[in-house]
Amino acid sequence: MTLLSLRNVDAYYGRAQILHDVSVEIAAGERVAILGRNGVGKTTIVNACLGVASVHRGQIAFGGRAVSTIRHFTAARAGIAVVPQGRRIVPGLTVKENLLLGGAVNRKGAWTIDTVFELFPMLRERTEMAGTALSGGQQQMLAIGRALMANPDLLVLDEPSEGLAPVIVDGLADTLRDLAASGTAILLIEQNFGLVHRVAERYYLLSKGAIVETGWLAGLSMETLKKHVAV
Amino acid sequence: MRLWEETDDGAPGTVPEATTERRRYRGPPRRAAAPMLIQTLNGLVYGGLLYVLAVGLVLIFGLRRVVNFAHGSLYMVGAYVGYTVTAVAGFWVGIVVAVLVLTGIGVILDRLVFRPLQDEDPIVTMLVTFGLLLVLEDAVRTIWGKDFLTVQPPPLLAGVVHLTGTSFPVYRLAVIGAAILVAIGLSLWLRMSRVGLYVRASSVDPLTTGMQGVDTEFLSATVVAIGSGLAGLSGTISAPLVALSPSMGGSILIDSFVVVVTGGLGSFTGAFIAAMLIGQVHNLGVVFVPGAASMIPLVLMVLVLIWRPGGLVKAGA
Ligand SMILES: Nc1ncnc2c1ncn2[C@@H]1O[C@H](COP(=O)(O)OP(=O)(O)O)[C@@H](O)[C@H]1O
Ligand SMILES: [Mg+2]
Repeated sequence: MTLLSLRNVDAYYGRAQILHDVSVEIAAGERVAILGRNGVGKTTIVNACLGVASVHRGQIAFGGRAVSTIRHFTAARAGIAVVPQGRRIVPGLTVKENLLLGGAVNRKGAWTIDTVFELFPMLRERTEMAGTALSGGQQQMLAIGRALMANPDLLVLDEPSEGLAPVIVDGLADTLRDLAASGTAILLIEQNFGLVHRVAERYYLLSKGAIVETGWLAGLSMETLKKHVAV
Repeated sequence: MRLWEETDDGAPGTVPEATTERRRYRGPPRRAAAPMLIQTLNGLVYGGLLYVLAVGLVLIFGLRRVVNFAHGSLYMVGAYVGYTVTAVAGFWVGIVVAVLVLTGIGVILDRLVFRPLQDEDPIVTMLVTFGLLLVLEDAVRTIWGKDFLTVQPPPLLAGVVHLTGTSFPVYRLAVIGAAILVAIGLSLWLRMSRVGLYVRASSVDPLTTGMQGVDTEFLSATVVAIGSGLAGLSGTISAPLVALSPSMGGSILIDSFVVVVTGGLGSFTGAFIAAMLIGQVHNLGVVFVPGAASMIPLVLMVLVLIWRPGGLVKAGA
């Protein structure tokens, strides 16, 4: 089953067109990466799915169903949870409250606050701390934990390795692989190829708002990679 | 020493004689030597009314980023609706109906004004809500006329209690109690309930809150309705304390802005502390410097902002 599909999407911020004819498709259980340098429109793909960037042409479908008007909550309710760029831990809320917020969609499944604490025991020790007081790596865990609280079919992560030490990125790779193994599809948006090649099986290359190449990660040549991402 | 000249029906006797002066809540009749206790209690009464009004402003500002200049008019409309319903069906029904009517007005205002304006320049929203203030005042003037109207407190809360050698109207104590109940109820709701969590989250980051599956537009509409209903509550419970006039919302609106800013924009706890503080200084002002009474809260605000530019309490708290 297709969990998320963008078909020939043009997306805009106001009158500025950012995405040109973008088509992306992720099926259940897949591990897919979108690669591209800074400013090519990676986050805009996420924003189009959240109703932040406006789609003037093409179609976005969640769980095989085309959506005509996308609101901020539409994707979440369709089983697509986003770990946004910069993590967006909500200020003024504790670690636990940030997690509870993630459960707002009320989708039942294996993930509860207890199973999230089993996955990230360090969060359990800090339940009452302000979420924003955590270190970068811990905030990333909190953001992933928050997304898991929605029991998503698809987890979208926008540059999760940004600003993290290499050893933390290793841990992140393991976590994402485990999640994928347990059946959650993963859409990993990254410039960090080190993380991508440990997690994804398929890729899309984005350049200047357009998909320039797609295929299996195993077949991605070094030259193409160097041309489109800093390695 | 008899310092408090009240009739036994507990009406605090603040109905002003016809003067050209702008009507506002002025606390008790001026008695320079009223004892400390009475002063403090009267400060709490005004602080309580201010809190219930200001917390609605905080809610509306928190979720819609709109500074609602019409909030004092909602208070005024609440008092008038309470007046009319009280005359027909009694005080308690009057309160319930006024709160419901104002909640409904809140739903309409949100749909027609606040929601479309939330991404606009603050100047635009100020002008529009200011225009709304004028419209509501005129509407009330047309329906109820411009003569002063008065409301009697309900028989259950009539009379006075005797306190260490002096007496104090029961109704005023009830107003303090009502404000405390609102404060407790709101803080339990915001702290302990799911929806309260979404409200707090949405007031700092609506996009992230929405991304988690919360319909933040619906949430905001609900919160604006509650804020408007609270303005109605504040208006009806103040009705037995003041003379109703179409312009009665003016100065209490200014004081509640002072409360919101002094408390720390967006802070509920701050609003409570600031309301009680402003209630006290306002009342002292009325007694000791009647000529400059309305300036004293502003002076306090400036002092607090010099000391702590963000207000007493950080937003979200
Ligand atoms: N809110 C916005 N309004 C207008 N332009 C934006 C906005 N956000 C991003 N952009 C522009 O859109 C382009 C793509 O940005 P983005 O999707 O964030 O890139 P990436 O995530 O690949 O780094 C950039 O040129 C950026 O300047
Ligand atoms: Mg980005």
